[in-house]
Order: sequence, then C-alpha cells, then structure tokens
Amino acid sequence: MDVFLQTLVAGILKGGLYSLIGIGMSLIMGVMGIINLAHGQLMMVAMYITFALHHFLGIDPYISLFIAMPALFLLGALIQKYTLNPLLEVESILPENQVLMTVGIGMVLTEIARFIFSSDYKSVKTSYSNATFFIGEISFSIALVIAFFIAVGFTLLMFWFLLKTDIGRSIRATAQDKDAALLMGVNSKRITTITFGLGSALVAAAGTLLIPIYYLFPDIGGPFTRKAFVITILGGLGSTVGAIFGGVTLGLAESFGATYIGMAYDDMIGLIIFILVLLFLPGGFKRLTKV
Amino acid sequence: MQKYFRKLFVPAVAFTMAGLLFSCGKKADEGNKIKVGIVLPLTGKLAKFGEIEKKSFLMAVDEINAAGGVKGKKIDLIIEDTTGKPDVGRSAIEKLITQDKVVIVGGGYSSSVTWATIAVAQKQRVPFLVNTGSADKITEQGWEYIFRLNPPVSEYPSALASFLKTVAKDVKRVAILHENSLFGQSGSKKFEKQCKKLGLNVILKEGYESGAVDFKPLLVKVKSKNPDMIYMISYVMDASLLMRQSKELNLNPKLFVGGAAGFTLPEFQKNAGDATEYVFSATLWTPSVPYAGAKEYYDKFMKKYNSPTEYHGAEAYAAMYVIADALKRAKALTPKDVRDSLAATNLKTVFGPVKFISYGKKTQQNKLPTFLVQWQKGKLETVWPKEVSTKPYQYPTPSWNKRK
Repeated sequence: MDVFLQTLVAGILKGGLYSLIGIGMSLIMGVMGIINLAHGQLMMVAMYITFALHHFLGIDPYISLFIAMPALFLLGALIQKYTLNPLLEVESILPENQVLMTVGIGMVLTEIARFIFSSDYKSVKTSYSNATFFIGEISFSIALVIAFFIAVGFTLLMFWFLLKTDIGRSIRATAQDKDAALLMGVNSKRITTITFGLGSALVAAAGTLLIPIYYLFPDIGGPFTRKAFVITILGGLGSTVGAIFGGVTLGLAESFGATYIGMAYDDMIGLIIFILVLLFLPGGFKRLTKV
Repeated sequence: MQKYFRKLFVPAVAFTMAGLLFSCGKKADEGNKIKVGIVLPLTGKLAKFGEIEKKSFLMAVDEINAAGGVKGKKIDLIIEDTTGKPDVGRSAIEKLITQDKVVIVGGGYSSSVTWATIAVAQKQRVPFLVNTGSADKITEQGWEYIFRLNPPVSEYPSALASFLKTVAKDVKRVAILHENSLFGQSGSKKFEKQCKKLGLNVILKEGYESGAVDFKPLLVKVKSKNPDMIYMISYVMDASLLMRQSKELNLNPKLFVGGAAGFTLPEFQKNAGDATEYVFSATLWTPSVPYAGAKEYYDKFMKKYNSPTEYHGAEAYAAMYVIADALKRAKALTPKDVRDSLAATNLKTVFGPVKFISYGKKTQQNKLPTFLVQWQKGKLETVWPKEVSTKPYQYPTPSWNKRK
C-alpha cells in the first residue's frame, strides 16, 4: 500500500510540473497552429538564468521566478515578432516554415548556452532541495510540493486570464477562428506575439521550479520539448484544462509504469499513451470537456 | 551583363589562385605530420566527458610534440564529434579513415557508440585503441584491429568482490539498478553473475532511462524489498539524483555502491552534496593510485584548464601516450604496421601498466586492477585494497536520520 501511495504522490507532484510545461506549448499551438519545437530549449534558457542568478548573486530560485519569467516573456515575444511573424508573409513550398524555424531557434539557444556555460552539469543547491516531510510512511519532497502548488497557482491564473481579460478573450478568439477574430478587429500579430511570450514565461516558471530538484546542461531542452508535445496532444490543442489533465496523466503514467512495469520503459509508456490517444481520442481530453 | 561578369571574374580567379596556393602549402606541411583520428562526443548529453577527454588528448599530444614528436614528425590530432549517437559515430570514423587517412583511431566514449565505430575500423583495417567504451563484447569479437586500454565493465567491481568477501560479510541481499543503455545492461548482467558466485542473493534488478526527473517510484520499490546493498551503474547526474532521492525516502541499506562511472566524479559531490557521504564506488583511477605520473597529470590538468579531471581524462591521456609509443615503434606509418607495434605495447602510463593480452573470451585487452573508493566528508578517499588506501573504510553505512 505504501508503495502504491508513494507512487501516486510522486506521479501527481511531477504531473503538476508537467502541466505547467504543457500549458505554454498548448497555448502557442492553439493560437498559431504550430508546434513550438524550441519549447524545452526556452525552459533551458530560463533554468540558466535562474542558475546564474543563484550562482553569482545568491538569489533564491523562487525569487528568480520574477526575473526569469519576464525575461522569457520578452525573449519569446521577440522570437515571435522578428523570426516567426515575418515567415507568415513569405510564400514557400513548405507551409511548416515556422516549425522549422523553431527547431533552428532551439539549436541556436542550445549552442549559445554551451558557449557561455560549457557542457558542464550545473545545479542549484538550496536548503530545501533535499528537504522532505513524511505523512505516515509517505515522503513528500518540499521543493516538489512547493513547485506543485505554484504550478497549480499559475495554471489557475492563466485560466482566469484567458476567460476574463480582454487580451485573454482575444487569444481565445484567435485560437478559435483567426479570420473571424481579424474581422472583429483583433490585432492577430500582436496577439501571437503576446501568446508566444506567455507560453515562454510559463515554461520559464516550470524550469525555475524544476531546477532545485533537478540539474542543468545545454542539451536538456530536447527531452522536455518531447514531453510538452505529448502533454499537448494528450490534452488537446490549445486547451488549458486539457494540458493540466495531460500533464498529470503523463506524470502518473510514468510513475506507475516505473513502479509496476519497469523504469526502463519510462519514455515508452508516455509515448504509447500518446499513440493510443491519437488513435482513439483524436483531439485529446479537450473533447471530453467543453472548455 | 559583361560588367557584372568582370566584376565577379576577377575576385573569383584571385580566390581560386589563393586557394591553390593555400592547398599546396598545406600539402607540403602534411608530409611532416602523422594523422591520428579521435572520436569523442563533443556535443549532446555526454559532451562533458568528451570535453575532458579532448583536453587530455590535446595536453598529451602537446607534450609529445614539444618533446620532438614521433620519428621527427609532429602528431596531428583530428578530433571528430560523435554527438553520443552510434550512427553519427559511424560516419565520423568513416570520414577519419577514408578522407583524412589516419593511421590509427583513438577515443571511443560510451559503449553504444564505440560498438558501432569499431566495426568500421575493423572492416577498413585501421587500428582503434578504445579507451573508455567498456561493454564487454567490444573486445570479445576476436577482431585484430581493436584494442582496449580500460578494463571492461564486468571487471569494475573486482575490488568490491574482495571487500565483500573480507569485510562486508553480512551483506546477503542485493538490489541492482542500472541505466538502460549498453553500458548499464552489460555491467549489471555481469555483476549479477558475480553476485551468484559470491553467494549473494539478487532480489531486484531494474533498469531506468537515463535523464529521468524522478527516481522515487523505483526507489520505493527497492525500499520495500529491504536490500543490504544497492549497486548502481549510472552516469553522473542520474547518480546524484538517485542518492538525493534515497535520502529523501530514508532508504537505508548497509552499503551504497556505485559501479564506477558517475559515482566518482566531482560533479556527483557538487550536485548531491551530503547525500554522497559514505557512498562506495568501484573506480579505475583516482589521483592517488600508485602509478608514476598520476598525481602530476592531475595537477598539470588543474593548472592548465583550471578544472579537475577524473578517470576519463586519465584514460585519454594514457591512450595518447600509448598511441605515440606505438607510432614510434612502428616499422612504417601504415595502419598494418601500427597495428603490429600496438599489439606489442608494454608501457607504463598514468593509468597503469599497458599490455594487450588475451584471456577468457577477450583479445587485445589491457588488464588492470580496480579500486574501491568512498566519499568521506566531501572527499573521495581510496579505501580498498588496504595497501593503497588513503583513509580507513566506514562500514556499515549509518542510516540517514542518525546522521548529524
């Protein structure tokens, strides 16, 4: 029973972080209809910012949230404005120009990180990195619990933002029907820029929350881009609620898979679910809700 | 149109001429160089160790060239990036052999990549001195162009075996955790066999995907089986997460043992902090091993690059000297002659004495003793065998909540 509960706890806590990673990609995918394959790399940049702030100035990762997130918002917005938006106007054989561009951006970010910080593994050690508390026999990592609640907080905030604010409504309108939104006077270029910024800021939050319990090197982005992609497909494109479900599902699947099937199949389990969802529930969990 | 043509023509001619001149100059110079190819992961997940090896290769080759080179010629290292992927490694070594026409290839980090690259070397009949890839089967093919400097992964725990027999006699139940690539699989299988020989009971053997965020589900399972010893074959960052999360879960075996690789590196201690305390590891090399030049190599590296080196670096540094020595003794600088002189190697290096012998299923394999080290107060101390120990061993491991 303890084994089961511990696995459940581990899965849900990890799932919270995964959701936060997934939401950003889901937003971008919903609004612009492209997969941002530099998503994990943007997270890597945020992690390096957090690392540098901690290493050189001794700033706690949780405070770095307020620096890393705006920084990544800016970076994301700039990427959208100056590298992705111009591509919309160019006629080309491949309609997926923007996706290819994100792959390139991801590579450039990785190599810049390698150039500045070298390939060394870095980590941020804080007093709470290894701290735990126990409920019965079940251990809770304090850093992960905090990360989970902050992730939930951001998700709720995002939800409120999309439903209640003007920009949020414009984002949803653009996601639902770009042409109609344009006709209604929504500045779609501005909206895509803001969306990309927001998506980057959210994944920055995930990176900053992850770093006290994980580690960092320039090539860390790839696996997380893949995870975000799986989560987005699981949840349904462009759906915030879907991304939460997708994240937690992936977290749980990985944990239970690790305990009851074998940790060696970690990635495989996630991808099998991915395929099953594509086959039997195209459109993801979004189909089951209405949001 | 004509105007444009002329505009383009003049620089184009000038360019071609310059190019011709340049290539001539290069050719004249090449007669004075011996080309040696090195394959290492310089980007990707394993880049860090590729980097350490590259620096060590370069340091050694600078020393050799400064001392006059080999046969009056300088050694020219051509280092290719494998990115840690077998397919890229294959094309890298093919380029080295067919385009650059190197006489010998060195390097070879990570078993999977090495396994893919040695097949090319054997087919093209160019000698390959492997210095890190440690899956057993690399030297079990009877391929006469493949040599290996480092011991195979199955021999990493030989010092541990004698420690278990003489000191930790009450260890009976063993859990084995390993990363799920060729290196971990090969090592864990051999260790399982060795456990049987020692009369130990392997109650759990599990692989995991390197780079995982959360090892708790796996560790909980280990905890529920209550082993006396946990043996882990891991790359460095997995190793530190495994220890950190063992501490979080209050997982208390009598012995934590790492099967070399990640557990002896400075990054392990830097990232896992006090969770590394009392952790044992098999190792092939530390700066305190009883070989001439080992400590000097460490100090030189530290001085030159201002960062510490470890056993991968020592392997690379030693490999460069073995290669230079083989080139020196070769009758002619052809792959065939270099192969023959490499087979007759008998050299003392910072990594230990090097001699390629055949035993068991293995051919052209260098045989070296291994050591047992333990993290004590944030320092890596050699504790076994006793003759070379720097500090006495601490056994059994105190439980996490009884530590201060």
